[in-house]
Amino acid sequence: MNAPLAVEALDLERTYASGHTTVAALAGVTLAIQRGEFVAVMGPSGSGKSTLLNVVAGLERPTGGTVRVDGEDLARLDEEALARHRSRRVGMVFQAFNLLPRLHVVENVALPLAFAGVSVSERLRRARAILERLGMTARAEHRTNQLSGGELQRAAVARALIGDPAILLADEPTGNLDSANGAALIALFEELHAQSQTVLLVTHDAQIAAHAERIIRMRDGRVVDV
Amino acid sequence: MSLGNYGRARLRSALTTAGVAIGTALVVLLIALATGAEENVRRSIFSIGDLRLVTVQPFQPGANGLSAVPRTITDDTVAKLKVVAHVDGVYRQFDAPLGMVVEGGDDATIRPQGIEPGAPVDRGDLLAGRHLEAGDRAVAVIPGNIARLVAPNAGAAIGRTVTMRVGGAVKLGSTRIGGSGTPRDYGVKIVGVFDEQASQTSFRIPLEDALLAGAENRGLTADAIRQTTGYSGLAVEADDSTNVADIVRAVQELGFSSFSLKQVVEQIDQGFGVFKGILAGIGGVALLVAAIGIANTMVMSVLERTREIGIMKAVGASPRDIRALFLAEAAYVGVFGGILGLALGLAGGQIIDRIIRQLNPRTNPAAIFVVGPDLALGALALALGIALLAGFLPARRAMRMSALSALRYE
Repeated sequence: MNAPLAVEALDLERTYASGHTTVAALAGVTLAIQRGEFVAVMGPSGSGKSTLLNVVAGLERPTGGTVRVDGEDLARLDEEALARHRSRRVGMVFQAFNLLPRLHVVENVALPLAFAGVSVSERLRRARAILERLGMTARAEHRTNQLSGGELQRAAVARALIGDPAILLADEPTGNLDSANGAALIALFEELHAQSQTVLLVTHDAQIAAHAERIIRMRDGRVVDV
Repeated sequence: MSLGNYGRARLRSALTTAGVAIGTALVVLLIALATGAEENVRRSIFSIGDLRLVTVQPFQPGANGLSAVPRTITDDTVAKLKVVAHVDGVYRQFDAPLGMVVEGGDDATIRPQGIEPGAPVDRGDLLAGRHLEAGDRAVAVIPGNIARLVAPNAGAAIGRTVTMRVGGAVKLGSTRIGGSGTPRDYGVKIVGVFDEQASQTSFRIPLEDALLAGAENRGLTADAIRQTTGYSGLAVEADDSTNVADIVRAVQELGFSSFSLKQVVEQIDQGFGVFKGILAGIGGVALLVAAIGIANTMVMSVLERTREIGIMKAVGASPRDIRALFLAEAAYVGVFGGILGLALGLAGGQIIDRIIRQLNPRTNPAAIFVVGPDLALGALALALGIALLAGFLPARRAMRMSALSALRYE
């Protein structure tokens, strides 16, 4: 048997109740992402691309269909198991960085391991190693308010990678960056991809998406072009 | 990590902790005060006598002052009590009529108390000589103050014979009153002198001598006294003070009234239990206010850190992790507040103690505030428990927060 797909979605649905009407953010999405692929999901706002990412990340539960990440059916996981999924199977990078301002950079990077039962010394050691890999060693002991936007997002990528995830998820990661820093971040993704890291990137920017191996286009909660 | 946050919102944490500390200190102080008072009272009771003793009185149960209905204590009563479980010994006592000793140009009123050898009243308080023994007749163990009328000191009085006048007029204070019957003189040899702190008038004499004196005073025989008047009382000794209640019950079932220090102590304990409860309740209100403070701080903290909770959840914190984080924060407030409050209570007690003694140097030297290890640990546990209770709802709120909506929270 082959190794499981990184992501496998079958007729995935996610509807929101809004007053008396329901809005379908995902209206039957079927897709497959191979291990080691670098995929970009594109679409206008409201197309459901972020919802798709959140479902894969385990931040949101689908209301219909199935989704497997690295072979695990997320519908079968309870809240505790879903938390473990987020800390170990996936790594998430957000548009707004979402680092904790009261922690040092190295502590922020080590945070996911704190919930995985790893000792303080071990998680700091691993955080420093990954910061070194991303060329961020000089910033390890800084507070987040001393970092530039590009550095913040690099730290966020380091945090996403610390659990050695099966898939790196990024939701508009360049949205808060200037074009130079955005380009540098995409270069980092390409580099990670070259090291066989699976990457799933959500963007509305065609230039960013162009760096991916494959582009999935969405509109109104459906995949319109794979 | 939660310790980091405790340090971050420093002023708020400090104020909340102060609330817990004051509440705990109040609880500690008030209970320590009650405990001190209770120990004081108990100590003075223990100094009075033996807790294993039950005194049988010649009245029906429930004897109370003037309404007491007499009942005769006979040898039959004694035999029945001797077989009651946990009874170690039954000692008969017969008080002969009041009398006088006239010695060295002075006189003193005496109470001839007929007792059996080894009776609890005649134990371990000798200044000289010996206690009563089996087979003794025409002897007495007398108080030190009367011994000094007879001889220069207690030791010199041993072996001397004094005249004990039973019945007739006696002196009560400085007035003379007519006593019972015709006075009759008995020569008794002093075999022992006891410390007059126990009694300044009691002459401990053999039971048979007292019965005879009582009989002759009324023109009867000793046997008639035994059967009709009965003994003045019985001292029943339990094998252990915990069994006193059983013996008291048996005495009442036989139809006699009884008295025991043990029961007095129990009543006092009960009273102090209520007293302590009320004081603890007053302190508890302070702790309750502190708990509301903790809950308020925690609700604020959860609200303020909504985004942080979202981030932690997004990177893998489980609901249990989040709850543990906030409960730990509440626990820090409880533990720090509890320790601080305990220290405050201890110090406060010392200071108040010192002030009271300065204002009134004649205050009882025993400690006014008593904090035992159970009170100290109990106060800490209470502070921690209340903090966790107060933190529970806010922690649950944090735990149930949706990661996505928390991330969007600004």
